[in-house]
Amino acid sequence: MEITLKKLDDCRWLIPKTGKMRVPGLVFSNQKLLKGVEKDQSLLQVANVATLPGIVKHSLAMPDIHWGYGFPIGGVAAFEMEEGIVSPGGVGYDINCGCRLMTTLLQASEVRPLLKDLISSLFNRIPTGVGSKGPLRLSKADEAKVAVQGSAWAVKNGYGQPEDLERTEDRGTMEGADPTLLSDRAVKRGLEQLGTLGSGNHFLEIQVVDQIYDPQLAQAFRLSEGQITVMIHSGSRGFGHQICDDFLKEMAKQVSVKGLELPDRQLAYAQLNSDLGRKYLAAMSCAANYAWANRQVLMHWTRETFLHVLSTSPRELGMSLLYDVCHNIAKIERHKVEGDEISLCVHRKGATRSLPPGHPKLPEIYRHAGQPVLIPGDMGTFSFVLAGAQGSMDQSFGSTCHGAGRVLSRSKAIKLAKGRAIHRELADKGIFVQSRGKKTLKEEMPDAYKDVSQVVDVVQQAGLAKKVARLSPLGVIKG
Amino acid sequence: MATKPPDYVFLDHTADLGIKVRGEDLKNLFETAAEALMHLMIGGESQAKTTDMNITVSGQDLPDLLVRWLGEILYLFEGEDLVVTFIHIDFLSLSRLDAALKMVPFDPTVHKIHSEIKAVTYHQIQVIEKGSTWEAQVIFDT
Repeated sequence: MEITLKKLDDCRWLIPKTGKMRVPGLVFSNQKLLKGVEKDQSLLQVANVATLPGIVKHSLAMPDIHWGYGFPIGGVAAFEMEEGIVSPGGVGYDINCGCRLMTTLLQASEVRPLLKDLISSLFNRIPTGVGSKGPLRLSKADEAKVAVQGSAWAVKNGYGQPEDLERTEDRGTMEGADPTLLSDRAVKRGLEQLGTLGSGNHFLEIQVVDQIYDPQLAQAFRLSEGQITVMIHSGSRGFGHQICDDFLKEMAKQVSVKGLELPDRQLAYAQLNSDLGRKYLAAMSCAANYAWANRQVLMHWTRETFLHVLSTSPRELGMSLLYDVCHNIAKIERHKVEGDEISLCVHRKGATRSLPPGHPKLPEIYRHAGQPVLIPGDMGTFSFVLAGAQGSMDQSFGSTCHGAGRVLSRSKAIKLAKGRAIHRELADKGIFVQSRGKKTLKEEMPDAYKDVSQVVDVVQQAGLAKKVARLSPLGVIKG
Repeated sequence: MATKPPDYVFLDHTADLGIKVRGEDLKNLFETAAEALMHLMIGGESQAKTTDMNITVSGQDLPDLLVRWLGEILYLFEGEDLVVTFIHIDFLSLSRLDAALKMVPFDPTVHKIHSEIKAVTYHQIQVIEKGSTWEAQVIFDT
């Protein structure tokens, strides 16, 4: 199928409704970013999502869109509750993969001399890599509590402060989680992986705020130039993968039994108003909660490591959570459609919620500024802090981009990196990296990703979020 | 297994890792696909005593069967820390297969992890007959 793009303005492009599409596609991008996108099949995936039952308004793509499986990564789609569907492929395997950012009272000059020590200590403390297991061993009963309570379980058990909860999307607890729906395999895989970073594009990074775009918003987010921040990018680990896999198989079977036609099997779905649809959402919520608890535990260990290496006090370190967002999720939310506010199931696969100032779901401290939106760069490049803006409610079901987005396949990246010491290249830029394998470094090297600055410029231009600050990496640990 | 790499090639997919596999017949295709998956994930040979396991996998059709079969091999590694070292498919129909496996426990001192594979996806899954041989395409989430 040939995809035609119709330019609406400098940052919006329409995929007109053709064939079996129920709604048009809407792509937030610019001329430069689109050149990369047109080479792969991600725009076809936007059109494929538009064929699903009950989809509302548009099948959306953020500027960091890239070719995923089923749904594109950087895709957003909302479905109405009666006729609409939920699709595990529209959430992804790493349910509630997301990002959290901690601010500190430290200045870059205080941290630089101890950076290697800090990174090695973090690397020793925080389990990374494929199948990594943590020092935490959950009983089945505790795992069920984590699955229901999320971050609240972590805080209750000493991993963090009560105020961390209001600074986490949905307070780190997704309602309606039901651990009795999980397979034995999912339960087993969750027992030993809480408090682990994982591999691939997951990371923990020490950063410095190197540019402020909006001083007022920066103040509201307690960000200032030269300040040290720490970003954690991780998800629900094997527990989430297994839950996605279990339900996807069940839905693929139902789609086949019912003889439903799909442009791609990975788009297999269940009606929201069906037993299987409800069960998936309740199981998915378990993984979402696990991921929030995971990032909460990782943050706690990061704080302890900083205190130890810098021999400082919690008061002097002042490490506090700015915000935690998820970027792989399906949620029932209220949105305005043709003048009426209705409930919709919003799928965000590689997209971040971006609530504008005044939104009732925001905690009091961010009510005037809007939701902090965290956009991790790829390894060795800038990350950004944005604030949610009204345009997201008007155009994208309260969503914006999530990161840089790949432009090179992993195999091409490895080919391109052949003979290069990515480690050294990053060190030359003043970035200290510690990882389990050299291969991850090559797969994840900066050349493999889109320019994240371009991505955030597009979302700002489109009014989905406002740029607040830029963060420059100093040290990274990876799987 | 894996003294000689299995007969597969990489597909060029931006986000994930895909492979194209060829087999003389369906059994050989499914065996090779599983060997390729192991080869993508892990290297190194352990001298530990192997354990045997017979497994049966069912699916709606050949593509579904392939996804579920590879999913089982992946689970053994991800969920049970077992490295599959020998695969023989005893029986294969359009909707079921029986296989005999040999496995060793994962040992980080001898095994080398190549890539993390989170899942076997249905995205663009293909199992097709090409003349006298069979071809399959699978994309993994990494």
